[in-house]
Amino acid sequence: MGLPVQKVKSPGERLFDLFLILVCAFVFLIVAYPLYFVVIASVSDSTLVATGKVTLFPRGFSTFGYEEIFRDARIWVGYRNTVVYTFLGTFVNLLFTLPAAYVLSRREFRARRFLLFFFVFTMFFNGGLIPTYILMKDLHLTNSMWVFILPFSVNVYNLIITRTFFETSLPKELYEAAAMDGCSHFSYFLKVALPLSRAVVSVIGLYYLVAHWNDFFTGLVYIRSNGLQPLQIVLRDILLSNQVFAEGAGAGGAAGGYAQRYADQVKYGVIIVSTLPVLLVYPFIQKYFEKGVLIGSVKG
Amino acid sequence: MKRGTAVLLALSMGAALLAGCSGNDGGGGNAGGNAGGSPAEASGGSSGAAKVKLKAIITKHPLTQELSKMEWLRQAEERAGVDIEWQEVTADWGQKKGTLLASGDIPDLIIGPNAITDADYAQFPGLFQDLTELIAKDAPNVQKMFEAKPETKVIATQTDGKIYGLPKYQRFWPATATRQFINQKWLDNLGLKMPTTWDELYDVLVAFKEKDANGNGDANDEIPMDFAPVGTLGFGYFQPTVLLGSLGITLSDGSGQGYFAEDGKVKNFLVDERYKQVVEFLNRCFAAGLINPEAFTQDYTKFQSVARGTGETAKVGFSWGWEVTDRFGNALAPQYASMPPLKASADSTVQTSWDYDYNSLNYGVNMATMSAKSKHKDAAMKFVNELYDPKVSMQVLFGSLGTNIADNGDGSYKVLPPADASMDPGTWKWTSTWADNGPMYIADDLKLTLGTDMQSVGKQTEPLMPSIDAIDKDNDVLPGMFIKYSKDDNNAMSLVNTNLMNLAMAKFSQWVTKGGIDNEWDSYVQNANKIGLPQNLEMMQKYYDDYKSKTK
Amino acid sequence: MALQSGKAPIGASGVPAKGSGTAARPPRTANYRKAFARDYPLWLMIAPAVAVIFIFNYVPMYGIQLAFRDFDFTKGLTGGEWRGMHYFSQFVHSYMFADLMRNTLFISLATIVFGFPAPIALALILNQVKWKRAKKTLQTTVYLPHFISVVVMVGLLNVLLSPNTGIVGHLMDALGYGDVNLLASTKAFVPVYILSDVWQHCGWNSIVYLAALSAVDPQLYDAAKMDGASRWQTIRNVDIPALVPTIVILFILSMGGVLATGFEKVFLMQNTLNLPVSEVIATYVYKIGIVSNQFSYSAAIGLFNTVINFAFLYAVNVLARRFSNISLW
Repeated sequence: MGLPVQKVKSPGERLFDLFLILVCAFVFLIVAYPLYFVVIASVSDSTLVATGKVTLFPRGFSTFGYEEIFRDARIWVGYRNTVVYTFLGTFVNLLFTLPAAYVLSRREFRARRFLLFFFVFTMFFNGGLIPTYILMKDLHLTNSMWVFILPFSVNVYNLIITRTFFETSLPKELYEAAAMDGCSHFSYFLKVALPLSRAVVSVIGLYYLVAHWNDFFTGLVYIRSNGLQPLQIVLRDILLSNQVFAEGAGAGGAAGGYAQRYADQVKYGVIIVSTLPVLLVYPFIQKYFEKGVLIGSVKG
Repeated sequence: MKRGTAVLLALSMGAALLAGCSGNDGGGGNAGGNAGGSPAEASGGSSGAAKVKLKAIITKHPLTQELSKMEWLRQAEERAGVDIEWQEVTADWGQKKGTLLASGDIPDLIIGPNAITDADYAQFPGLFQDLTELIAKDAPNVQKMFEAKPETKVIATQTDGKIYGLPKYQRFWPATATRQFINQKWLDNLGLKMPTTWDELYDVLVAFKEKDANGNGDANDEIPMDFAPVGTLGFGYFQPTVLLGSLGITLSDGSGQGYFAEDGKVKNFLVDERYKQVVEFLNRCFAAGLINPEAFTQDYTKFQSVARGTGETAKVGFSWGWEVTDRFGNALAPQYASMPPLKASADSTVQTSWDYDYNSLNYGVNMATMSAKSKHKDAAMKFVNELYDPKVSMQVLFGSLGTNIADNGDGSYKVLPPADASMDPGTWKWTSTWADNGPMYIADDLKLTLGTDMQSVGKQTEPLMPSIDAIDKDNDVLPGMFIKYSKDDNNAMSLVNTNLMNLAMAKFSQWVTKGGIDNEWDSYVQNANKIGLPQNLEMMQKYYDDYKSKTK
Repeated sequence: MALQSGKAPIGASGVPAKGSGTAARPPRTANYRKAFARDYPLWLMIAPAVAVIFIFNYVPMYGIQLAFRDFDFTKGLTGGEWRGMHYFSQFVHSYMFADLMRNTLFISLATIVFGFPAPIALALILNQVKWKRAKKTLQTTVYLPHFISVVVMVGLLNVLLSPNTGIVGHLMDALGYGDVNLLASTKAFVPVYILSDVWQHCGWNSIVYLAALSAVDPQLYDAAKMDGASRWQTIRNVDIPALVPTIVILFILSMGGVLATGFEKVFLMQNTLNLPVSEVIATYVYKIGIVSNQFSYSAAIGLFNTVINFAFLYAVNVLARRFSNISLW
């Protein structure tokens, strides 16, 4: 990349660069401003936010929203649970998904088309919530941490993305060469395919991880004890207790004024509190997107 | 297939084992956490060896603190000899409920306002316990309520004569949820009088708009009129439908889907000429810029924030709300005055009416429901009976004796102001206890002095009282919760109502903001008929007549 | 010349595969045992995924019957009276049917048309940024909005788009469109819905394309440079071909969503003024569902939806296999 040729740029190249810079700057501003707004709104007076007085800088500064969020003891239980569910869950996801995706990428595998159909069918057809709930109850998965980890541990969408990646970016000759050396499918998968596919493994890992992190429905439907609830449920409870209720006021003078001032602070604070930890994971994954991961192994 | 089942079985057993271990783990951790958090719970646990263990779900308000911190509840459980493991639901109950009921997986007791509905009782026969005998055997307090307030028994009894859910009676609430406020300071600033007719209101609002009514030097920042966001599912409180009162229509419990009663006939205002007049008036106001242009798109939070203005400067001239400090905030509340219902025109001879909500504000149905599969029905009923002891009931509603209610020593009680000075009394109540979401019987002879919030609600209702007193409660109020529909009729009616709301709510906002009601009215009424409104009215009339013949 | 050779490895993985798929297919019955003996390690590797899908997805499918039966609690979930197509015809003949179909199709097709290409374009652009710090910052920024929950997202839209107080409202005012209320207009509903969707998920969805681009052999870029290809030509001849398999697969999947609009966002963005264009199947089912548990009716509408989606997916998949040799199955 660092060839001296690069320094001499044609007018076309310059135009391209200019175009690129403009587009990037535009995208950045469009995306970043609302995010910045969330941050300043989380420390500004809610009435001022709702009436459009907060645009560039926080106004009526207070950290009440965060105090309210962290005052709730349940949030730490929620964090702990979610971290456990996320890491264990993602591990199980990858354990089940990656080998399956590899198998489905092997064109010589006879049952391939049938199995793909078997998987894709479930993206559309399902028995509905009630039979699923009864199944979970019969398997004693309700009100247990395993309900976050075992059921639906293979996401067909992710499976297909991984399969497509294996299919298109692993040169076919590679397996033939390995098989010649007496390499089984299993060791080829572990020693060659996986290391060459770090990019997709990290993407799928990220997709799974974030899905677990944001999972709110499982806790809502299957969990009864507060001690098992994930972060998203706890945050939602906190959010709701700081909401202004239309019906609340009517049904008997409920929480009006008190909640009012801080409703938005809590709302925006919750986004930040729930997003920051995932944000910290991203750089580790991003580095696998750098080019040249593949080339070394193929050559070697 | 058989082999498949075997594999499945093997796998599921593995999973079951794993699940069993973790379930216990999680549960243990939870109990430990709770006990650590509150000494009350810990002591209750240690002395509870001989107690009956029950499971219960409560659908509580999101503000409400953990149940383990409620002293009155601990005492009530103690007296009933039960130890209840509570599951506290604050959100998405509807979603949870469907799965729980359909899979039959319900705890001994379910507590909460209409947490299980009449439709649920009809749809899930055999799942819930008929309480009739248990009440006779274990619940003297519930019997007392049924004797003193026979209507509570009426609303609890299903069409088949059985009682699955227990009602509540909370006595103190006003006859309407919606009060009408106008900014008296603005009127004074501009030398205007409080309007008494629609035309006078129109002129006042124009003055609010054109002049610098709030006196901050900016003549354009006043919002003359604002109302609560109109939802897609129907009308609600604090909305301009109360103007129908000027034309003699009495809304019952907000009449969200338009149904009301007049001279013993069930009608729907959505296809009534008088509704057309109200919409035309609102359109005239909207076209003149007198209504907040965001009235139809803002959410409730914004509706509330806008009215709070900035500091001492008010933004909104005329609006509706529950209570003045709740609506406009403590700083601005003194500027506003409560206003009587308007007459449609100066020469109108129609007796004005108002939204009549006494029933829905003071009674509630299906507050406590028991599972038919419960192994400890007597114990569960005894616990529920405790809640209906008037002295416990007042603590259900306002909080524990000592912290929230003072015992005056002479058999009378007084609701205390919030211990946290930054809270308003309403918030304090909802934070401390089950409040309106609990089963209760506040007997009429209980001597209890209310807090400042409820007293001021009473005062702000006074200008409305002449109109409310004039309502013929027997023939002009639709007794919503007193009428029980059969399952099939209920399903058929609610389908029609879903489609009707879809049509009517879109048209309402379109006509107010853009006009055109004159041209579209006839085809709109035709559409409403096509959807099935006449059949609904007929059905409701039948049930209504039936109800009236029984109560006479 | 070099560019053509650059294409070769990408095609190479596809072309021989086609050969093995069609020409080298042995007679079926005789070779099953042999094939299994050869493939059994593969079967072992895929067994856990198959088991999990079978148990948690296929076992509960008996519940689909509910769409054809009355729900009768006393007789068990699927013991109610058989009603055949009753609930389907109730839906098709309902007053709302035409409106619902039109709105749903319009919103989801528009989402595909605008939402689908956006992440591809973004990935290609990001891939061109050579300044690493800028690239990282931009990448992290664009994927962040994905984490905002729908409730907050709609709240944010309300604040920013409010004609009186929002920053976009002010901007529109400055451009001379001050009297347009973006939240209220039936014309603006779909654009606002889609643009905000692109805003929120474009960055996140571009991640998978970036991963595909990262697998491009750097030698291809060097070769392109040697040939004096402009960067635009490099994008067209190296980057885009590398993305094609992923694009085709994701496009097939997205076509399986022609009748699938998210429920929550549409519902939260609904108000009485945009209702004529914002009532979709999902929100209608919800409204029917909350009034009373009409399990059978909502199951029938859900199944109706699913069958149409699946038919689309199936058709597009057949087309894709015929014309591109890339397909789901």
